[in-house]
Amino acid sequence: MTTSETKLTDEVKAMIGVEGELAEASWYLIENEGVRRFTQAVMDPDPRFWDEEYAKNSKFGELITPPIYVSYQAKTPPWGGDPVTQAFKENPVADGVAQLKERPKGSLPRVPTDLVRNLNAGNDLEIFQYPSRGDRIYKQQRYANIIERVGRDGSHMLIITTEVNFYNQKGEKLCTTRASGFRR
Amino acid sequence: MPTQEELRNKEQTYYDDVEVGQDLPPYIIGPMTPTHLFRWSAAIENWHRIHYDQDFSIYHDGLPNILAQGSWKQSVMPQYLKDLCLPNGWAWKVQFQHRAMIVPGDTITVSAKVTNKYEKDGLGFVEVETGMTNQDGINTCPGNGTIVLPIKGGKEIPYPFVAPEE
Repeated sequence: MTTSETKLTDEVKAMIGVEGELAEASWYLIENEGVRRFTQAVMDPDPRFWDEEYAKNSKFGELITPPIYVSYQAKTPPWGGDPVTQAFKENPVADGVAQLKERPKGSLPRVPTDLVRNLNAGNDLEIFQYPSRGDRIYKQQRYANIIERVGRDGSHMLIITTEVNFYNQKGEKLCTTRASGFRR
Repeated sequence: MPTQEELRNKEQTYYDDVEVGQDLPPYIIGPMTPTHLFRWSAAIENWHRIHYDQDFSIYHDGLPNILAQGSWKQSVMPQYLKDLCLPNGWAWKVQFQHRAMIVPGDTITVSAKVTNKYEKDGLGFVEVETGMTNQDGINTCPGNGTIVLPIKGGKEIPYPFVAPEE
């Protein structure tokens, strides 16, 4: 669909800088089984993830996780309903991603736009520290920027950049991720 | 991809060892299969069907195949830089764009070329141009990053890492 109307409305611009509250990133702690599944899936056999003796004698002094592992902790908790079943109940040909009615604590308000399709544009990562086993992870999100682009077919799209800072329970910053996505 | 033994025994690359223009050792990943993609979706609980349901991906979304996840690419790049820095360096930051799709059958070369190096606060900062290039020579994820390598005879890189003041 093409349109000559801007999608970068005043309401959309007002979202830039909006910050969510600091909230726990998941209901569980950093633990070995989660790290095992993740590291096998990303194909990283680093013994610093699982060999305690070796890790203790490394620069880090303990087991570590992959660099941005903490950014993947937002999984559905046991009391969080069933997003897969919900997605197909709402739409038999759903893409598998449900818009959960009850949004996790700390979520950003949705950007007020009728553009619905998302596409990754890019990532910007800064890493300071790995979490320890048993750590609780907290995160705080904000809309870092929203700009508009016009496609070759004249359609308007938004590029929304969301920044997330991750902390451990001591308030130490672990990493910052900035993800930019096209909204079309 | 390095084996666990190679990672366990990796010798340090020092700031003094790298020069502007130098290609750092690449990773070769692949060929990627639907099972690799499915395993990643399951591990991070990303249920988007374009990553594991070929019919949906092609006939509903009009894509050429199922697609490797942006989140997977986002994790591979800092992993690669981490490994370049082991055992005592630090992969500080990286940014990249998603320019082309990675699909099953693709073999990806993850790479870094040194574009600049400088010393600050007694640490060796090395800027790199990064890439994830497929077998057809298409850089699917061009970007750049900064790694911190120890200087021979210099001080230890602090952990947790503290970014230098601008």
